Amino acid sequence: MSDADVIVVGAGPAGSCAAIAAARAGRRVILIERGPFPGSKNMYGGVVYPRILDELVPRWWETAPIQRWVVRRSTMVLSETGALTVDYRSNAWGEPPYNGATAYRPDFDEWLSRQAVAAGAQLVTSTTVTGLLRDASGRINGVRTDRPDGDLSASMVIACDGVNSFLAKEAGLYTATDPANFTLGVKETLALPKHVIDERFGVRDDQGVDIEILGGTSGVNGGGFVYTNLDTIALGAVLKLPKLAAQKKRPEEIIATLKAHPAIAPLIEGAEVKEYSAHVIPEAGYSMMPTMVTDGMVVAGDAAALCLAAGIWLEGVNFAMASGMYAGEVAAAAVARNDVSAKSLTAYTDKLNATFVLRDHKKLRKVPGLVLSDRVQQKYPAFVTSVVERVFRVDNPQPKPGLRRIVREERKRAGIKLSQLIRDGWTGLRGFG
Amino acid sequence: MTVVACLKWVTPRADDDDRFAGISAADQSALEFALQSAQPGEDVVAVCAGPVGAERALRDAVACGVTRAVRIDLDPRASSSAVASAIASVVTEARLVWCGDYSLDRGTGSMPGFLAARLGIGQALGLIDVTIAHDAMTVVRRLDGARREIVRVSGPAVLSVEGSTARLRRASLRGVLAADTATIDVVTGPSSVVDTVDEKPFRPRARALAAPAGASALDRVRSLTDAGSVTARSETVVLDPPAAAARIVSTLREWGYLG
Repeated sequence: MSDADVIVVGAGPAGSCAAIAAARAGRRVILIERGPFPGSKNMYGGVVYPRILDELVPRWWETAPIQRWVVRRSTMVLSETGALTVDYRSNAWGEPPYNGATAYRPDFDEWLSRQAVAAGAQLVTSTTVTGLLRDASGRINGVRTDRPDGDLSASMVIACDGVNSFLAKEAGLYTATDPANFTLGVKETLALPKHVIDERFGVRDDQGVDIEILGGTSGVNGGGFVYTNLDTIALGAVLKLPKLAAQKKRPEEIIATLKAHPAIAPLIEGAEVKEYSAHVIPEAGYSMMPTMVTDGMVVAGDAAALCLAAGIWLEGVNFAMASGMYAGEVAAAAVARNDVSAKSLTAYTDKLNATFVLRDHKKLRKVPGLVLSDRVQQKYPAFVTSVVERVFRVDNPQPKPGLRRIVREERKRAGIKLSQLIRDGWTGLRGFG
Repeated sequence: MTVVACLKWVTPRADDDDRFAGISAADQSALEFALQSAQPGEDVVAVCAGPVGAERALRDAVACGVTRAVRIDLDPRASSSAVASAIASVVTEARLVWCGDYSLDRGTGSMPGFLAARLGIGQALGLIDVTIAHDAMTVVRRLDGARREIVRVSGPAVLSVEGSTARLRRASLRGVLAADTATIDVVTGPSSVVDTVDEKPFRPRARALAAPAGASALDRVRSLTDAGSVTARSETVVLDPPAAAARIVSTLREWGYLG
């Protein structure tokens, strides 16, 4: 008899949800985490959209370690000194069942893993999975770990080992790895008293703010973000790897420049840096995804590149939790009918295709490329902010210029061809529409 | 006979976050020596006086190979003497008792000494090297002034080791899986072990110094700071234990360490 029915590798949001689903279905589940506790090695930009948890942990908001509920969502376009912000506020998002939340991942992931343990999964920490075990037919039937006597057999494996998934690569599910598909996320956690954050961001109690930033990344394609925690602010940048390498800029210098921007500096003035962290993000979305299933194994979460970086929507934890949950359900059913072949496991891919997990990704598959393109990154922020600057600038005694004239002049000044603008607009419309 | 490893559960953070708690490198060394020094058929017992959370350290010890784990439910503010009494009450027929030299949270390293007294067995404390042989062990103690003492340990004894002396073995995966459901014996320690509760932050005890001697201000500063002086304030005396203890106390008083 094997050691377990299902081995889940990685106790992040995907792994813990997979373990919850499989354990609840009555399977023997072992959840393996390389860190000393789940979440100890994890970081992200900042917002969890926990709708999927409604299915897994009813009334999760009563126990989940949430910092603030996001009631203000802002999108900010930065030029060198200017900023255009679109800001939406809904206090309803600050009440059950909530919309999005900021949370510290070491807290959130650890909480989620406790739900898996409560469901019956066995959690093993400080243990790194180093490879896959296969039976004579080549089917994956276990994992090798870095512990002595560390081989573990199972009916099947769910790989939730994060971006750069060694297991998915070892199983041959990724074809080639292109650095252009990845971004580097860097973040500073800045401490300020809670009342100061409340005042600067115009929120109260456990209300929070999420600001996504286009531009302001020192010419390196990417974006910035500012999120409020209870008594800290998460501020960071997401940077396209090849551009970062080509420009020979240090990510911490880019953060320092972002922090000094006139629109950002007053928000964080006087804050103390508590933490600096960085993580690679599978940014390219649908175009970089691996084959999701093979004989004896499925892939979920960041390991399957299930991270949505589509401009106004930056999501990952929700995709991880959902894909993990579906992987757990499908694995449990496959083990029950004693058929863990790739064909049997396509139920997982079907589930992803039928839900937001892959439908959002397919619909928005051209958006990550557009958002990270040189025009959107370099030219459009300057163009948009200079248009707004002229619209609102009062040049009395000169009469107000027409809007069309301003747009035409500023477009030419920014070096944007009309045909490109129309093409990008069309791509954006098709993606977002 | 049994071999015992005493482990202290320490939370290094001000917020008492249990996730970062654990045992010190010295305690890990002690556990490793306990496992190495046990003879075939001998029980290895891990003992920890601490809260429920400490059972995680005991499970880790079980995963590494100890045969029995005991948690003594004791007020975390209990003194070293009270901890030693509580441990002595659960440790029976101990041949060797291994401890870390001192704990991370302001430890003074006195618990192993108290424990040896309670158990009425020998002690070799502050060890920096241990050679385990079948009949007797050779250990090296760290003394002041870069001196070393080489001690042969043959009878039952309490041994406290520094963190650099051994690296705790990595538990096998089977061990880790089995330890999850292993039984941890819980013993309730004495309840009234805290005489005075001192909630003030820790400060080193003040030391009374005589006014500095010297004609000029520079001389007085030199005298106060010992700067430039050759201070070999040590001597070797051979006395019987009561007289040696009295001599240590009188010298400490002379140096201003005792009020």
